[in-house]
Amino acid sequence: MTMPPTAQLGGIYPRSEQLIELTRSYDRGKTDRASLEERFDQDTRDLVRLEGDSGFETFSDGAFEWQDQLRPVVDSLEGVITGTRYSRWFDTNTFYKKPAIIGKIAVSKFEPKKFLRAELLPKSKPWEVTLVGPYTLSELSENLHYEARSDLLSDIAHAEHLIIQSLKDAGVSHFQVSEPCLVYRPHREEALTSEELDSALAALRTAVTGSNASFLVQTYFGDATAILPRLLRLPVETVGFDLFETDWSQLKVETEKKLALGIVDSRESNVEEPKWIAETATRVSKHIVSDNIILVPNSDLKFVPRKVADAKALSLVNATRLIKEKN
Amino acid sequence: MAKLFPTQEIGSIAKPRWRTKGLTQPLTSKDLAEAEQWAGRLGIDDYHDRAKELLSTPEGKDRVRGLLEFSTIYGLRLFERTGLDNVGVGGEQQRVEMYEHVIRGVEGMRVLGHVQSFDYKYFNKAVAESKIHRKHPIYLQEFLDVKENAKGQIKVPITGPYTLVDWSFGGDYSGHKTGSSLKRQKQEAKREFLLDFVEQVIRPEIRDLVDAGASWIQIDEPAITTHPEPADMELFVEAWNETVRGFSCNFSDHTCYPSEIGYKILAQYAPKLDKCSQLALEFANRDNTSLGVDPEHREGYRDLEYFIQNGYEGEFGVGVVHVHDFSGHVPTASGKAVDRNIIESPELVRDRLLYATKIVGDPGKIWANPDCGLRTRSWDVTYSKLDSVVKGAELARRTLS
Repeated sequence: MTMPPTAQLGGIYPRSEQLIELTRSYDRGKTDRASLEERFDQDTRDLVRLEGDSGFETFSDGAFEWQDQLRPVVDSLEGVITGTRYSRWFDTNTFYKKPAIIGKIAVSKFEPKKFLRAELLPKSKPWEVTLVGPYTLSELSENLHYEARSDLLSDIAHAEHLIIQSLKDAGVSHFQVSEPCLVYRPHREEALTSEELDSALAALRTAVTGSNASFLVQTYFGDATAILPRLLRLPVETVGFDLFETDWSQLKVETEKKLALGIVDSRESNVEEPKWIAETATRVSKHIVSDNIILVPNSDLKFVPRKVADAKALSLVNATRLIKEKN
Repeated sequence: MAKLFPTQEIGSIAKPRWRTKGLTQPLTSKDLAEAEQWAGRLGIDDYHDRAKELLSTPEGKDRVRGLLEFSTIYGLRLFERTGLDNVGVGGEQQRVEMYEHVIRGVEGMRVLGHVQSFDYKYFNKAVAESKIHRKHPIYLQEFLDVKENAKGQIKVPITGPYTLVDWSFGGDYSGHKTGSSLKRQKQEAKREFLLDFVEQVIRPEIRDLVDAGASWIQIDEPAITTHPEPADMELFVEAWNETVRGFSCNFSDHTCYPSEIGYKILAQYAPKLDKCSQLALEFANRDNTSLGVDPEHREGYRDLEYFIQNGYEGEFGVGVVHVHDFSGHVPTASGKAVDRNIIESPELVRDRLLYATKIVGDPGKIWANPDCGLRTRSWDVTYSKLDSVVKGAELARRTLS
C-alpha cells in the first residue's frame, strides 16, 4: 500500500446501555416516543463525536434506530412486507424480521430520515450509509410473488438504485453495500453457482451505476477468496472482505481498487491492538496488493456492547496512524 | 397404552411484577394485589399465610428465598391449572434468564454489557476472562423447591454448554491472534472453551441435580442450528455426549429458531446424540394459520421429515403455539389475534399435531408444547395458549381414537 490507510465504520453500531434501557421502557409503554428520540439523538451525537475526535474521515450516524439490517430498505418498498416471522441473522444470536415479497417491488415510501439522522452529521464531512445488497435482500426474503428469482433480484436492484439516488440527494456520499450471502449461506445447501453470482453482480451493478457516489461492496461471515477476483471487477471504488473468515494467505491478487479489510472482529470482545491490526494489514497487503487500504470492522459492530465497539473503533484509527508512521 | 400427545411446558414464563420488585425492594399489600387475584384463579390455598410471611419478613436472604419459592409455586400452579402433563420447573421463576442465570454462577466469566437480540430485546453478554469453573450450584435450589411443590411430572430445563459458549465472548480462550488462519484459531478456542464449560460447570451441575432426584433434564441448545457447518456440528455432538456421559437420567434437547436452512443439518446429527430421548422443536413460528393436515397447510412442520429420514428414533416435542409477537391474519376457526398475540384455537393445535403424526408415523412419539418459553407473553396470554395446547392435544387424541 502506498496511500496512507484510512478507517471507516459501517453498519449498525451498538446502542448505549442508556438507550437500551430506554427502548425497553418504551417497549413496556413507560417511556414516550419523544424521550426515546432524544436518546437516539444523543447516541448519534456521541458516536459522531467519537468519529470526529478520533480522526475518522467519513461519518456514519450509527443507524441506532434500525431494528435490523434490512428494515429501512424493506419499509421503503412496496410489494414487500415485514412478516410476522423472526429469522436468525446468519449464525449470530440476533434476529431480523423476515421480509415477504407479495407483489412487484418498487420504491414507494422513501424517507431519508428512516436511513439516517442527517441533521446530526457534520455538514463539512462525507457521510456513509450501509445498505443490504440486492442479492442478500432477495436471499433473506420469502418470495411469494416472483416466478423467476432473476426478476426479483432485478427489481430489488432497481429499487435500491433509486434509494441510493435519493440518499445521495440527501447528502450521503459513501455507501457500503453489504452482500454477506455471496460468501456465507447457512440458509442454502447448494454452493453459489456461477449463474447466481453473475445475477448477483449484475444486480449490484444496477444498484450502484450512475450514482456518482463512493461504493464499498462488503462481504462478511464467510470466505471471499473464491469470488474476490470477480468482486474486484465491479464498478465500485472499494471491495471488502472479512479477515476472520477469508483465507487470504492463499491469494495473490493485485488490484487498483481500494480494499476494505474487515480487521476487527465484531463478534469478539477482545479489542485488537493497533499494532496487531497494522502488522496484519501489512501482511495481507502482500497477498492482495492495493495502493489503498481501508480498515473496517468485519461486520456491524452491533454484536458487541457499546464500550467494546468504541474501543475497537479507536483501535482502527490508531492502527492507521501506526501504518502511516511506519511508511 | 400410554397417553397420546402428552403436553409439556418448554421454558420460562414472564415473572410477575411482585416477584421482580420483591427481589430488590420491600413489598406492600398493594404490590401483592396481582398475586392475590391469580391465587384465586390458580387455587393457591395458602396464599394469605405466605403473603403475610413475605410482608413481615425483613430484608435479607430469607425474604428473597421465600419470594422465589412462592413465585415458583405460582408458575407450577399456572401450568397445572391449564392441564399440562409435565410442568417443568414452573416457568423458571428463579432464573434471571437462560443465559445470565448460568453465567452468574461461573467463576471466570464477567458480564460485559447488552447486545441486541431483536428489535428492543437484548441480552447481557459475558466474556471468559480466565479459565472457568462453577462457583456454586446453579439450578439445584430451584429443583428442590419444584420437587417439593409440584403435583405433576417435572423436568429440569438447563441451558446447554454449546449455547452458553456460543453466546459468550471467548476472551481469554481466544488468546493472541497471530495474523493467519484466524478462522481456525477461533474454532480451536471455541472447542477449548466449550469442553471446559462441560467439565467445569455443566457436568457438576447435572451431578447435583441427579443426586437430588432429577430424572429428566432438558438441555436447551438454541444456538446449535445457527452454525450448520460440519466442524461446529461435530463439536456440538462431542460436547453433548461428554455432557451426558455416565449419568443415569433421561435427557432431551430443545432447539428453536434455526437459521434459514432450518433443522436439516441438526437432523443429520441428532441420531449421534447419546441418550437424547426427545427433541423439542419450534415449528408454529414458521407455520401458517389456516386449518388443515396436509403439507400445503402445514408447511412449518416439513422439517420433521428430515429427522425421520436420518433415522432419529426418539420422541418429538412439537411446538404448536407461537411465543412471540404476531401480526398476521388469523382465520376465525384457527384462533384470534389479541393485541400483539395470536391465541391459537385448539383446532389449529390439533391439526398441527395430526400433521406431525403423519410425518413421524407413531403418535406415541409426539408431545405437544409451545415453540419455546412464553416469557414475553402476559400470564393471561400464556394461560390461553397453554389451554389451547391441552385442548388441542385432547382433540387430536379423539381424532385418532
